[in-house]
Amino acid sequence: MNSPFILLFVAVPAIVALVNLFLPVLLRKLLNLLSSLFLLYSMIDVFFISKSAELLRGDFGAITIWGQEIFSVDQMSLFTLFFIQILAVIILIYSLKGVQADAQKSFYALFPLTIAACNGVILSDHAISFVVFWGLSGMTLFLFALLGRTKESPATAVKTILIMGGTDALLVMGLALMWVLQGQASWALSALNTPVTDGLSWLAFFLVLSAAFAKAGGFPLHTWLPDFSRDAQVESAALLPASLDKLLGIYLLARIVTTWFTISFILNLILMTLGAITVITAVMMAMNQHNGRRLLGYHAVSQVGYMILGIGSGNPVAFAGGLFHMINNTIYKSNLFLTLGSVEKQTGTNELDDLGGLARNMPITFIMALVGALSISGIPPFNGFFSKWMIYQGVLETAKTAAPGYQLWILVCLILAIFGSALTLASFMKFLHAIYLGKRPEKLKDIKETSANQWIATGALAVLCLIFGLAAVAVPLKIFIYPAMANAGLELPAFSGLYQPILLLALFLIIFALGMIIYVITKNVRPDEIYLGGMAPLEKFRIVGTAFYNEIRNMRGLKGVYDAADKQAFDAYAVGEKSSLALSRLFQKAHPGLLQLYVLFIVIGVVVFLIVL
Amino acid sequence: MRPEYLFYLLVFPGLLFTGTLGLVVGCVDRKVSARFQFRVGPPFLQNFNDFFKLLGKETIITKEAVASLFISAPFIAFSMIVLVSAMIGTAMFFGVSFGGDVIVVMYLLMLYSVMVILGGACTGNVYSSIGAGREIKLLLADELAFILVLLVPIVKSGYVLSLDGILAAQQDGLFIGSASGIIAFIVGILCIQAKMTLTPFDIPEAETEIVDGPFMEYSGPPLAFWKLSHLMMWVTFPFLLILLFWGGFNLSGLGILWAILKYLLIVVVMIIIKNTNPRVRIDTALNFFWKYATPLALIALILAVLGA
Repeated sequence: MNSPFILLFVAVPAIVALVNLFLPVLLRKLLNLLSSLFLLYSMIDVFFISKSAELLRGDFGAITIWGQEIFSVDQMSLFTLFFIQILAVIILIYSLKGVQADAQKSFYALFPLTIAACNGVILSDHAISFVVFWGLSGMTLFLFALLGRTKESPATAVKTILIMGGTDALLVMGLALMWVLQGQASWALSALNTPVTDGLSWLAFFLVLSAAFAKAGGFPLHTWLPDFSRDAQVESAALLPASLDKLLGIYLLARIVTTWFTISFILNLILMTLGAITVITAVMMAMNQHNGRRLLGYHAVSQVGYMILGIGSGNPVAFAGGLFHMINNTIYKSNLFLTLGSVEKQTGTNELDDLGGLARNMPITFIMALVGALSISGIPPFNGFFSKWMIYQGVLETAKTAAPGYQLWILVCLILAIFGSALTLASFMKFLHAIYLGKRPEKLKDIKETSANQWIATGALAVLCLIFGLAAVAVPLKIFIYPAMANAGLELPAFSGLYQPILLLALFLIIFALGMIIYVITKNVRPDEIYLGGMAPLEKFRIVGTAFYNEIRNMRGLKGVYDAADKQAFDAYAVGEKSSLALSRLFQKAHPGLLQLYVLFIVIGVVVFLIVL
Repeated sequence: MRPEYLFYLLVFPGLLFTGTLGLVVGCVDRKVSARFQFRVGPPFLQNFNDFFKLLGKETIITKEAVASLFISAPFIAFSMIVLVSAMIGTAMFFGVSFGGDVIVVMYLLMLYSVMVILGGACTGNVYSSIGAGREIKLLLADELAFILVLLVPIVKSGYVLSLDGILAAQQDGLFIGSASGIIAFIVGILCIQAKMTLTPFDIPEAETEIVDGPFMEYSGPPLAFWKLSHLMMWVTFPFLLILLFWGGFNLSGLGILWAILKYLLIVVVMIIIKNTNPRVRIDTALNFFWKYATPLALIALILAVLGA
């Protein structure tokens, strides 16, 4: 069947991007909005309105060119596609007003291009088109980074494109290697199935994995992400590293472990270990950041760890939890970026040290940020908890059947992940405290609430956080994730634990209402000044909160690590840069400009040449 | 929702039972502490008087505070404690789990710290902000060891997560009777000492230093509910430990006496620790938990995996 339906998801935004190059800003916005809404409506139609059977079975549209199947969909691509459209619409609503004026024109042209590239990746069933769209989405990342207006933006853009481009090359090599290993049969991605047994298949696995890790932000290829979050426009930080890149990277990871490769238990262990390391290292770095966007960037890395842990564990509950966490993360992380963006647009800064006490000025933004912060920290009843809970019990199930040594290893990974969520909570308490709580600096007295389009967007995300937390099984799992898993040939998860969010919330609300009734009956309110033992509440006594974790930073044993991290000793990119520079200096020394030396080199070269021959 | 849940929640073992027992144990704490300091101590019902008297006092809200958050924080924390008590108690007394498993309980308990921080820090008071920072650091200090402690009974029961399942797994041998169980139990007592911010870990409140920290600006009914939820923790946390390691309660015949003894033993140990140690600094607490308690708990976990 040659239906053009799925081609729309690539063609429409691509055409919009092209046309937008020549339009005035207002029309660009309008066109973007119309096309995004159209695509979102098409997806809603597929899932909820027509529920057309062959659409949901996933064989409704394959685009074939020259006998090669280029695009096709199955359940997993279908739901990833859906979430790309949801996030695109919400982030677009947010960006309707308030994008930095001088970057506005390029922004509205890049935005649809990004959507087209991401949709293309998800829909591709041909290795070459997959790689092309994958590279294109990396390139839009680079262009978005160039739109940033900080001093470091150009350097960040270069760093981003080098990591992305480098891993793209690895991806191409990996796919080519798989093609060779499979007897050069087909370039169709759905036909790939390489058992990871010998050296070459291991190599192919890690080559492809590195692309997924770089895109999603997994350790050790995550280092572009915090820099990008700080230097790019906040809308693009919410769009790419916080949501779409997560969807793409984890989508690829899920493909790798389910269909592209058949992996062994050792690889599961390696993936889980990498996941746990990602969680803990990134969150330890996040805790001590003074820049709000960088802090969120490190958390965007740390959350990937949970997805890798879940998807890598090979257990169906954890796998479903990993996919669910991917969706949840895109929701609350873009919410957090956008609320921070609102604060930034109103106050002109994203340095935590300069903010404080804004909950009274921007109450709506505060509530949305609070929901996001509680979700990411995994506080019930929000969505982050449900997916973490699934991942934990899946990992425990994996440990249950392992030998004692492996059991302990898996348990340590699990402990790091659970502790990582306590650290996340700590980090976000600092974040909320520094921006919204504590004493407000005098100069922020007159800050106003942000414009309606911004809080509508963040509000929509906050509502999704709650719905996906309360009706987790009924909505996201049953409609999106279980069919995808069934389609990939995995067994459906059976929970070993017990969690009834709606019941808990209902009981909670009963007690809360009881407490409030007692309060209302007995209350006798008097407003008064802050009491500081007779001292005036001066500005110089203000506690920002950025220094909350200095005791941890300066702890013996950790201080050295943090100092080294500040000097970028663990940044693969910085280390690579330094070592290649050192290597080139070595070569420079061999070229002092002495003719005799060059003649000597030639002679030695000829001798070596002769001996080897 | 089944109607008996309301009974569990509001009467036994939830609100009424835990609240009353918490207030009573609070009195025991005050009496015993007084004896340690060669004082007579307050009359036995003093905590009840305090609670109801606070309900009649006026509520002062600072002009810089976010009033809605300031008022709702203590009630949210209180509701959470009631809920967790009901979940733990129902598993213990009726052998039925509702609402959630061990992981849910662990995460719900974090909500208390969140509320302390949000409620305290929204007033703009500098002492509250300092206290809020300490509260979350203390959470980080004890949480790592606490996770390990909770994992020990999970591993020992053959990876059962539900509260009643862990209790049932102790039919043929209490976990506290094994090497891993007793180590984890001891570390667990230290953890709950920190979770309840009792001396030597009363760092976030530190009355003599930062004037009750996050609770400094609270008064009237909201303060009453903070106090009540804090006292209810005297029930929730020891019950959790008894459930996870000590086989719960057997309420028939002499079992009742034995149950009271078990509970009092934990409470008295906590009161003794509280009264014989000075308050430590936050970095000392972090060092203590990360460098001593956590490795100890890890040893317990290793032993549990090996079956000891």
